[in-house]
Amino acid sequence: MFQRKKKLPQAATYKEVWQRGDTATKLSFLIMGLAQLKNKQWVKGFGFLITEVVFILWMAFSGVSTLSMLTNLGTIKHKKVVYDATQGVYLTKMPDNSVVILLFGVLAVILVIAMIGLYVANLKSVRNLYVLHRDGEHIPSNGEELKSLLDQRLHVTLLAIPIIGIVAFTILPTVYMISMAFTNYDAKHSIGFSWTGFKAFGNVLTGDLAGTFFPVLGWTLVWAVCATATTFFFGVLLAMLIESKGIKHKGFWRTIFVIVYAVPQFISLLMMAQFLDLQGPLNTLLLNWGWISHPINFISASANPLVARITVIVVNMWIGIPVSMLVSTAIIQNLPQDQIEAARMDGANAFQVFKSITFPQILFVMAPALIQQFIGNINNFNVIYLLTGGYPMNNNYNGAGDTDLLVTWLYNLVFGQTQRYNASAVLGILIFIISATVSLIAYRRTNAFKEG
Amino acid sequence: MKSYKEQRRISLILRYTLLALLAIVWIFPIIWIILASFSYNDTGFVSTIWPEKFTLQNYIGIFTSKQFPFVHWMANTFFVAVISATLSTFVTICVAYVLSRLRFRLRKPFLQIALVLGMFPGFMSMIALYYILKSFNMLNLFGLILVYVGGAGLGFYVAKGFFDTIPRAIDEAAEMDGATKWQTFIHIGLPMSRPIIVYTALMAFIAPWIDFIFSGIILSSSGNSKNYTIAYGLYNMVHTTKGTSTLYFTQFIAGCVIIAIPITILFVIMQKFYVNGITAGADKG
Amino acid sequence: MKLWKKIALSSSSIIAVALLAACGNSSSSSDTKTDTEKVSGNVKLWVDTTQVSYYKKIAKNFNKKYPDVKVKVTQSPNGSANAKTDVAKDPAKAADVFEVPNDQLGAMANQGYINPLSPDATKAVKKNNAAVSAKGVEWKNKLYGYPFAEQAQTLYYNKSKLSAEDVKDWDTLTSKGVIATDFTVPYNFYPIFLSAGTYLYGKDGETLKGTNVNNQKGVNAMTWYAQQKHNKGVMQTSNALNQLKSGNATAILDGPWDTANIKKVLGKNFGVAPYPTITIGGKKAQMQAFLGIEAFAVNSHTDTKNQKAAATLAQFITNKQSQLIVYKNSGQIPVDKAAQKSSVVASDEAAQAVMTMAKPGNSTVMPKMSQMATFWNLATPLINGAYTGSIKASQYPAKLQTFYDGISKAN
Repeated sequence: MFQRKKKLPQAATYKEVWQRGDTATKLSFLIMGLAQLKNKQWVKGFGFLITEVVFILWMAFSGVSTLSMLTNLGTIKHKKVVYDATQGVYLTKMPDNSVVILLFGVLAVILVIAMIGLYVANLKSVRNLYVLHRDGEHIPSNGEELKSLLDQRLHVTLLAIPIIGIVAFTILPTVYMISMAFTNYDAKHSIGFSWTGFKAFGNVLTGDLAGTFFPVLGWTLVWAVCATATTFFFGVLLAMLIESKGIKHKGFWRTIFVIVYAVPQFISLLMMAQFLDLQGPLNTLLLNWGWISHPINFISASANPLVARITVIVVNMWIGIPVSMLVSTAIIQNLPQDQIEAARMDGANAFQVFKSITFPQILFVMAPALIQQFIGNINNFNVIYLLTGGYPMNNNYNGAGDTDLLVTWLYNLVFGQTQRYNASAVLGILIFIISATVSLIAYRRTNAFKEG
Repeated sequence: MKSYKEQRRISLILRYTLLALLAIVWIFPIIWIILASFSYNDTGFVSTIWPEKFTLQNYIGIFTSKQFPFVHWMANTFFVAVISATLSTFVTICVAYVLSRLRFRLRKPFLQIALVLGMFPGFMSMIALYYILKSFNMLNLFGLILVYVGGAGLGFYVAKGFFDTIPRAIDEAAEMDGATKWQTFIHIGLPMSRPIIVYTALMAFIAPWIDFIFSGIILSSSGNSKNYTIAYGLYNMVHTTKGTSTLYFTQFIAGCVIIAIPITILFVIMQKFYVNGITAGADKG
Repeated sequence: MKLWKKIALSSSSIIAVALLAACGNSSSSSDTKTDTEKVSGNVKLWVDTTQVSYYKKIAKNFNKKYPDVKVKVTQSPNGSANAKTDVAKDPAKAADVFEVPNDQLGAMANQGYINPLSPDATKAVKKNNAAVSAKGVEWKNKLYGYPFAEQAQTLYYNKSKLSAEDVKDWDTLTSKGVIATDFTVPYNFYPIFLSAGTYLYGKDGETLKGTNVNNQKGVNAMTWYAQQKHNKGVMQTSNALNQLKSGNATAILDGPWDTANIKKVLGKNFGVAPYPTITIGGKKAQMQAFLGIEAFAVNSHTDTKNQKAAATLAQFITNKQSQLIVYKNSGQIPVDKAAQKSSVVASDEAAQAVMTMAKPGNSTVMPKMSQMATFWNLATPLINGAYTGSIKASQYPAKLQTFYDGISKAN
C-alpha cells in the first residue's frame, strides 16, 4: 500500500511489462510474488504469495457467502415460536442475526479492498523490477529490501500497527454505523433487519423525528457557539488577570483553576447536578443568606428551559475556562512585547492594547484550536448527559429534552427504551456533515488548512 | 489627583480581590464534594454545604464493601492504564513523527482521512466495537486496552504539532552524516520529544480512569463487578440500584474523591506539557 | 366510576378462571411427569447488583433439588429496570434467566427476546400466585414471565405530624402537612388519569387505540396537576426521601423498595398507608397507582439444551420459599398466595399497604404494550407541563390529542 519508488519507472506501461516481461513477470499478474521470488526478494515474494493463497482460501470458504449475505442481510426475517414437547418448553427459532452479518460483511468488503490495494502494489513492484532489468540496473537484494524498511520506507514500518488499529477500531465501526442508517434496524426489527435505502433519513428530516431534530439542531449550534465563545473569551481575560503585573504566586492561582478541570467530569458534573438541585446546597445557601426568596429551579426536569440552558452554559464555563486560561497564558507569555510597548508609548490605555493587539494575536494563534473546540462542543456528551440528562422535558419533542444536544439524543435513541438504531445512525451522519462543513469553512477562512 | 503609585496600589488590590473571588467561586463546589464525602447521609442526596454529621465510614465502607470491589476496580484500572499508556504512546508518537518528519505519497490523504474520521461521533462505533471484540472473545480488560490503543492512532495532532516545531535541518544534518531514518528517529527524534512523550503518556494514562461509557459497554456483560474499571464501577454504583443505592451514595462520593486526587495531581504536574502541546499544535495547524 | 372497576374485576376473574380450567384440561396429560425429573445444563442468572448475595442463597437451594444444573448468579449491566435495553444490546450474551418489570414484557416478546412459559409452568404460576400477577405477565394469551413480586407505590408519612385519618384524603393531607413528590416521573402521576376514569390502552391494557384521554376526564386530570402547583402542601423535589428526613416534608409517595430506608429515616414515627382519595373533576376518587409485577423471564437465545434448566430455575426462584427470601432481604412484596398469607407478610403494615394498593380500583397493572417506551417519553413532559403551567388550560385538548396520537401508533 505504501510503495514509493526512489526512481520513477521510465514510462514502462503495464502493457509493455506484460508483453515483454519474462514468464515469471507475466505469471505475477495472476500469482502475486513470483517475479519478486525469481529476483530472490524472498520476504517480499513469499509475503505476496502467502497473502494471495490465504485470501483465495478465505474467499472460497467464507468470504463469498459473507459478501453475498450482505445483499439482503440474511433471509429469515421473522422469529418463530415452537413448542418442544420432549423438553416441555417453548423454543424460539431466531431470525438471521443481521447485526453480525452486516458487521462481517463490512469487514469482508474492507479485506477485499485491502487485497486490491495489495494487488496494485504487487503490480507496481513487478513493473519496477522489469524496468530495473530492462535498464540493467542493480536489483535490490532481499536484505536491501528489508533495510529500506528502516530507512526510505520507515513510514511503512512505523504506520503498520497504527493503521491496523485505525482500520479495526475506527474505520470498520464507522462504516458499519453508516450502513446502519440505510436499514430498518429498530425496536421492531431488532434481530433481523433489511436494507431500506433513505427511509430512515426521511424519518429524521421530514418524518416523526423532524419536529425534534431541527429544534435540537438549533440548540446544539447555539450551545456550541456560546460554549466555545464564553470559555475562550473569559479564559483569555482570566489569563491576563493572573499574568498582570504585581500578581504574585501565579502558579498557585493557576493551579486552583486547573483543579476544577482535572477532576474527572463524571464526578464533578454528577455532583454539580446535586449542587444545583431545587433543594440542593446552592439554593439552601442562597435562601439562608436571604438573597432569594424562592429556590431557583436551575436544571431539574421541571426547570424553565431558558434557565436550564443558561445554567448549562455557565457550568460549562466553570469547567472550560481553566483550560483556555492555561492555553492563553502560554500565548501571552510568548507575545512579542515590542508592539505592546510601542502602543503604550503612543498613549494607548490597557483596554486599547488588549482590544487591538493582545486579543487579535491570541485569536490568531488559537483559531485552529478554537475550531476543534467548537466541533468538540457539538459533540459535548458529558456536560449534558451528566449534568441535566437532557432535562427539562419538552412536550413538543420526541424523546429529547430542552438541553439535549444531537449527540445525547443519539445516545438516547440507541440506549434508551425506544431503540431506534437506524435513526441514531442517521443523526451521526448528519452531525458529521455539520462538523465537516463548519470546520471546512472555518479552516478555509483562517487559512490554516495549508498542511492538509 | 492620586499619585501614580497610589493608583497602582488600588489597581493591584482590585485585581487581587477579583482573583480571590473567582478562585473561591471555582473551588467552592470542589470543596463541597470533599465535605460531602465525609458526611453521614442515607438518603442519597446531600442538601447542605456543611455536613450535619462527619464520619469516616464512607471511606472505610468503600474499601471493605463486598458488593462494590473498589480495590479490584483500582487494580483493574491501573493495569489498563499502564498498558494502554505504554502502547498508546508508542502508537501516537510513531504516527505523529511519521506525519511530521517523513514525506511520502499517501501522507496527505492520510491526514485528510484522519481529519474526517475524527468528526464522526464516537458513540456511533460502540455497537460495532462491542461485536468486534465479542467475536474475538475479548469482552474484558484486554479488549478495553485494544480499544484505547486502537484509537490512539488518530490522536496525533498535539504530538505532530510538537514535532513540526523542531527544525528539519537537524534531521537533514543527521542524514548527511549517513544516518538512516530509523537512526534519526531513535537517536534524534525520540530524545528531543521527551516532553511530548510525557504528555501523551499521561493523557493516555488518565483516560481509563475517567471513561465510564466505553468501559461500561465492554465490561458490563461479564456480570462480574470484579472485572470493572473504576469509572464504570462508580458510575454503575449510583445508576443501577434502586432504593438501596441511596445508602451507597456517600460511599460513591468517597470513592470519587479517592480517584480524583491522583488524577488531579497528575494533571497539575503536566499542565506545562499540555500548554506547550496545544500552542505548538495551534501554531502550525 | 366504581361500576367499571367492578366490571373489570369480575370479568378479569372470570377470564382467569376460564383460563385455569382450559389449561387444566389441556395439560392434564403432562401432569404425570414428576417434578424431580432429571434436569441438567448451565444457566446464567441476572439480578440487580444489590440482590446478588441472596439470589446466590436461592440458587443453592435450587441445587439441592436439581444438582445437575450449574447456576451462575451475576449482576445485570444496568439493573432490571433496563432489562430490555441490556438484553437488546446482545441477546446471545445476555443471561439465560433475567429479572424484568412486566411493562417491558410485551416489547421483549414481540422482539423475540423471551420465550413463553410452557403449559405446565403456566398452570403452576396461575395456581400459586395472585391472579393479578399472572395477568401482569400475560401477553397475547401466553405468559412470558414468572412473577415473584408486586410493586405499587404507597403513602409513607411521619406519624408525629400526621394522623392515620389525615392521610386518607389528599386535600386534608396537604392542608395539614407537606407531601414531597416528583411530577417529572410519570410513574408517580400518570395514574391520576386513571383515577379520572380514563383507560390506558383499553380496559385490558392491550388495545392499541384504547387510550381515551382526550376528553373531559383527561382535562380534569390535567387541571388537577395544575392545581398542585399552587398547593402549599405539595413540594416538587427530586429527592423526596431527603426532604422527609430533614422534616421539610411530612409525607412521600414511594415504593416497597425504599421501605427499609424510610423506616430508618422516620424511626418510630414511620407510617404507611394506601394512597389517599383525591378530588378530581369536582368528585372524590381513589388516587390510583401503577401496579408493577416483577418477573423472571427466560432468554430465547439460550441454547436448546439449556432451555429446560433455565425454565426450571426461573420457576424455582419465583416459588413461595424464594419469594419469601426476597421479601426478607429487600422488602419486595410476594405474589404467591400462600406467601402473602404467611405471618411475616401479614404482620407487615408496609406489605399490607402495597397489597391493598394491588387490589383492583386502587391500581392498574402497567400495560405491556411495546409502545410503553414511547408512553414514558411522552407522558413526562405532558404531566410536568400541566404541573408547571407551561401547558395552558386552553391547550389541554390539543396536547392530549397529540399525546394520544403519539402513544397509539402501531410501530
